[in-house]
Amino acid sequence: MHNCKETREIFTELLLDGMDFRSDQALSAELSRCSDCRSEFEVLSATLRLTNRLGETAAPAEDYWTGYHSKLRQSLVKAQAESSTSRAKAQRHKDELGPLFEPLRPRAGTSLFARFFKTTVPVPLPLAVAVIAAAALFLSLVIPFAIRAARVQQPNTTTVVRVPVEVPVIQEKPAEKIITRIVYRDRLVVKATTPAKDATRAESNFAKSQSEAMPSSLAGFKPSDEVKLTVIKGGVPNEK
Amino acid sequence: MTERDTDAASDIDLVRRAQAEDIDAFCLLAERYARRIYLLAAHYCRNPQDAEDLSQEVWLKAYQAVQTFRFDSSFYTWLRRITINAFLNHRRSSFFRRNGQTMSVQLLQIDSEEQQVFFESSSRAQENIYNKLLFESVVNALAELTPAQRLAFLLRHYEGMTYEEIATAMNCSIGTVKKGVWRAIGKLRARLSPESDAQETLTNFASEY
Repeated sequence: MHNCKETREIFTELLLDGMDFRSDQALSAELSRCSDCRSEFEVLSATLRLTNRLGETAAPAEDYWTGYHSKLRQSLVKAQAESSTSRAKAQRHKDELGPLFEPLRPRAGTSLFARFFKTTVPVPLPLAVAVIAAAALFLSLVIPFAIRAARVQQPNTTTVVRVPVEVPVIQEKPAEKIITRIVYRDRLVVKATTPAKDATRAESNFAKSQSEAMPSSLAGFKPSDEVKLTVIKGGVPNEK
Repeated sequence: MTERDTDAASDIDLVRRAQAEDIDAFCLLAERYARRIYLLAAHYCRNPQDAEDLSQEVWLKAYQAVQTFRFDSSFYTWLRRITINAFLNHRRSSFFRRNGQTMSVQLLQIDSEEQQVFFESSSRAQENIYNKLLFESVVNALAELTPAQRLAFLLRHYEGMTYEEIATAMNCSIGTVKKGVWRAIGKLRARLSPESDAQETLTNFASEY
């Protein structure tokens, strides 16, 4: 069955490739079946033939090329001169710095690792003395400081542990309900040792002593006749 | 050995000499392929001065890179890769500073110069002028495309590259290349087909003389 879109794609590609459609019998048959495709083919064929003629039209006259090539030659000579200059510069740097790295150059029979440890590099004596003196000074300053810093004791630190205490509050209305208020009391714990290590131990000791002291801690507590409750809503602390 | 083989062999010989920094050898290569590169640049830039600058730059880049030529393809294939890269790089830069000053300006100048010859009813002059008007129409049609679409069409139509080769060279998808080529064909068809106004003008112009 004839498909116009497919046929047009095929003959466009053939025309772009510069092929003669007559060599393609299947395409010829398709074109003979559809007058629209045939006229489209003729139009496209003529269009691409016209563009092919542009080569000779757009090409400049012969005398143009003399100037073109002489300009190109000048550019090439200039580029070569610049390239030679930069190569000479690179060679000069290589000559200056090359002897320093000469021992590390690959040689047959020895590995880079072996050469690294066997290689000696000539260094001017003042430079060597300065490097050694700088290293000695650095070590003499840094090592005592590090030792002193290690011996310095950690200062006493305080941590705040919050322990919740439940306080029953009796109210007349409603009688059957007990309003429980949670009171947080800050308590200071003094630690003489490293906080990180002893924090858990201090907390467990405190909790133990607290559980023993819990009854006495509430001794004498009397709820007041008028209970003032501060209700905090929606994160606005001053709302009452 | 055929003539083509001789050409290829001498290309290789010239490239070897160019790699040994023989500028004369490289200039011989340039003389051999300068027209093709110039025409591609002329269609791409749509301006003779830009075309000259761009094609000269292609040759300069080729000379600087000739040491990297490994003889695994023909010299022209390698040169075309450099050309495409140079075109694409210039597309990204603001190289085409003379965009408004297209071929038509030069064509009118040429027409004026050839006016005397033309009115002497020389058939050659008529053909030249017809061709120049035709070229202007094609250039205007190509001007309506993006640089990438224009380059895709030029490589497909004038260089005979496949869609795959173009997509690889331009670092884009085959679909994008196809779209560009078909869009270019559509534009050209609209400008140059017998029913279009431009073609009618051209035909009338040609038949008038």
